[in-house]
Amino acid sequence: MSAILAMTQLRGGYSETDILHGVSIEVAAHEIVAIVGPNGAGKSTAMKAIFGLLNVRAGSVVANGVDITGWSPNRIVQAGVSYVPQVDNIFGEMTVHENLEMGAFLRKGDFSASADRVYQLFPDLKAKRKTLAGSLSGGQRQMVAMGRALMLDPKILLLDEPTAGLSPKYMEQIFQISRDVRDSGVAILLVEQHAKQALAFADRGYVLAAGGNRHHGTGRELLADRAVAEMFLGG
Amino acid sequence: MEMISFLNFYLIPGIVIGSIYALGAIGLTLIFSIMRHAHLAHGDMAALGAFLALAGITTIGLPAYAALPLAVIATGLIAIGIDKLFYSHLRTRPKILTTISTLGIALMIRSVVQIVWGVDTRLYSNGISRPQNWFGLKIKAVEMYTLSAVVLFVVALVLFLTKSKWGKAMRAMSDNRNLALLSGVDNNKVVALTWLISGGLCAASGYFLGMNTELKSMMGWNILLPTFAAAILGGVGKIEGAVAGGLIIGIVEELSVMVIPSEYKALSAFAILLLVLLVRPRGLFKGKIL
Amino acid sequence: MDILATLNYPVYLAIFVCIYGCLAIGLNVQWGYAGLFNAGVAGFFAVGAYTSAILTSPDVEDRLGGFDLPVPVGIAGAMLMAALVAWPIGKICLRFRGDYLAIVTIGVAEAIRLVARSEDWLTGSTRGVNDVPRPFGSLPYAYSQLAFLALAAAAVVVVYILVERQSVSPWGRMMRAIRDNEDAAAAMGKNVPQRRLQAFVLGAAFMGLGGALYAHLGRSITPEAIDPMISSFLIWIMVILGGSGNNRGVLLGVLVVWVIWSASEFITDLLPTAISLQAKYGRIFVIGLVLQLVLRFRPEGILPEPLSKPRVDLGKEVTERV
Repeated sequence: MSAILAMTQLRGGYSETDILHGVSIEVAAHEIVAIVGPNGAGKSTAMKAIFGLLNVRAGSVVANGVDITGWSPNRIVQAGVSYVPQVDNIFGEMTVHENLEMGAFLRKGDFSASADRVYQLFPDLKAKRKTLAGSLSGGQRQMVAMGRALMLDPKILLLDEPTAGLSPKYMEQIFQISRDVRDSGVAILLVEQHAKQALAFADRGYVLAAGGNRHHGTGRELLADRAVAEMFLGG
Repeated sequence: MEMISFLNFYLIPGIVIGSIYALGAIGLTLIFSIMRHAHLAHGDMAALGAFLALAGITTIGLPAYAALPLAVIATGLIAIGIDKLFYSHLRTRPKILTTISTLGIALMIRSVVQIVWGVDTRLYSNGISRPQNWFGLKIKAVEMYTLSAVVLFVVALVLFLTKSKWGKAMRAMSDNRNLALLSGVDNNKVVALTWLISGGLCAASGYFLGMNTELKSMMGWNILLPTFAAAILGGVGKIEGAVAGGLIIGIVEELSVMVIPSEYKALSAFAILLLVLLVRPRGLFKGKIL
Repeated sequence: MDILATLNYPVYLAIFVCIYGCLAIGLNVQWGYAGLFNAGVAGFFAVGAYTSAILTSPDVEDRLGGFDLPVPVGIAGAMLMAALVAWPIGKICLRFRGDYLAIVTIGVAEAIRLVARSEDWLTGSTRGVNDVPRPFGSLPYAYSQLAFLALAAAAVVVVYILVERQSVSPWGRMMRAIRDNEDAAAAMGKNVPQRRLQAFVLGAAFMGLGGALYAHLGRSITPEAIDPMISSFLIWIMVILGGSGNNRGVLLGVLVVWVIWSASEFITDLLPTAISLQAKYGRIFVIGLVLQLVLRFRPEGILPEPLSKPRVDLGKEVTERV
């Protein structure tokens, strides 16, 4: 497998203390990889490390063949990596369509094709394109957040707990849409609290604990692994 | 009292001064919501703009009405310069230090005005302007000029913010700063734009204040409190709030002389500010709370 | 006798350093300890000055007065009045971030100035309150000055000791904890709003003290003494230059700034009249510039707070690194 995104032995934290103690993760195109683990495992932190939101002290992150370690988020976005934060991930005072426009901010030329694709993936949003994003329901807001990130036509998509606080119906929708995006060639890395569901729908998974790798394998393998189950899947 | 007298003596002057406050409040609310700090030099910057217009009239011989664009552009550029020279170096520190810095800048700007133009009262043009009669309403030409210019400024700004790419970028920065940066919005460009627009609007508000009353070195400081009250009344970050807030403060100020001694006219804005903070700190249009 | 005469100016300078010292320590309690941006110091100064003046001066027609109370009562009243004015302001504003307090205190100072200028029955408006008794005023001039200096010095020493005592006490440690990391302090169960209000009111009382001393020094108080911003601003730069949170530093700041300020007045007086007036405004420009430089290069001041830990700013966005 040739990884389009590779984090190797990453060590770092928000200030002086390290939260990650040498984490390695790989994602290939056409693939969904899930990062799961108990609370405080450093899952979101690992994702933030990829996106330049962490103080990296050792290790590297390579995306699309380019070493992006230590780059600012601004630069990383321009390198084709899109990130959907867990919270505060939409422009609440702007319309749905304006959110998409902001997603395409760095693109030159006409991006209406991308907008059409997003509306195809999220038909609910098309009807609400002129509505203020902040007035939508939680699930619809999450769709706007993903749509915004997709406007960049990214090769790599990072999703931080995309189903947090969503009803099962929306959760399933997000998973389904992610599969569609993966099938179009994007490498998707996601952090999930709902480990069982995430491992069921992802292609591969990494289990982190206390800032380090613990297990990895295909989603199915991990679900069947007793050691993983003991860790936190609650049986 | 008769309706027509009410309109002529209270409402129209209130709307005129209110629209002057509105111009200042718009710039202030932009700085509050994008730069996230109070700009205590806002009033003195308006005074600077007014005096720069005066300089255009007295040194280059511009007609009074044409000095406005000059003042707007010059003050906008000066605002960018001040930010680069002073505020930009404080950005990684707690915001309150920037606010303190703006207080220092206010005094520095005022002292420059006093050094260059002195402390005596000046006028853009001599001679009394008589109000014209519009179906019983007494409006001076300068007042019509003020109101139409303010409408133009507001419409132009709203179009910019809703239709242009960088206008949307500014709104995005005001809305969700981190996400805007993540989307690739260039922080420096937005900062420069914010100061350019706010500085320009400052100059316009100072200019029209001078046109409708007079110019003196303390004029900026005198409108600082009403301008802040207007911005907070309207809701921090809301342009429509700044306009509404400005008009309300202006009208209430004029009306206040009916119930309180005229020396205290200036305090009605302060009273409104306290009331807003007590009762509805997010303001009329539900803006941010800093 | 001649020796005393040459001491006149330094003594006068020293008295002002003491008065400003009270004001600056008061501001330090509000800003250095509690992190509150009071931009209207002049207002509380004025409340103190007028209160003491009104309480201690003889009767005047058409104006509230004639209490003829002894000076210590006047001073106590001044501090109390300043504290009473500060309390509702604090109650309203301390919930919000510092910028709102800044604007409101500017408004308060303006309001007080307007009242001082307009309310004839209370403050004598532009005439002000005169015949304010001067402690030791009946002594020959030089001795009277020295005696007043002793009084002013005693005042600032008492204030200094009081605040220093408080700052090493659990109260002081808690104040600094609140200032540096409010969420953590609140989580530990400290009543944050109440503590900050205490600091605000206490600082205001010290400012009232400074105002009272000023009124008794000059034997009168008029609205002219409450310049819109310059006095507030001078005290701010004294505190920031000297060292926020450190009372010794603050007093050092008072000395440095007041000497520079007085010296610049002296120098500009010597200039030819053509540019003398301009030069006077230039003094303020220079002071403003000094503030910018201190904020940029040494915001902790000349004598930084001895026990300060680095500020943990949890709200700082890591995306700021560009």
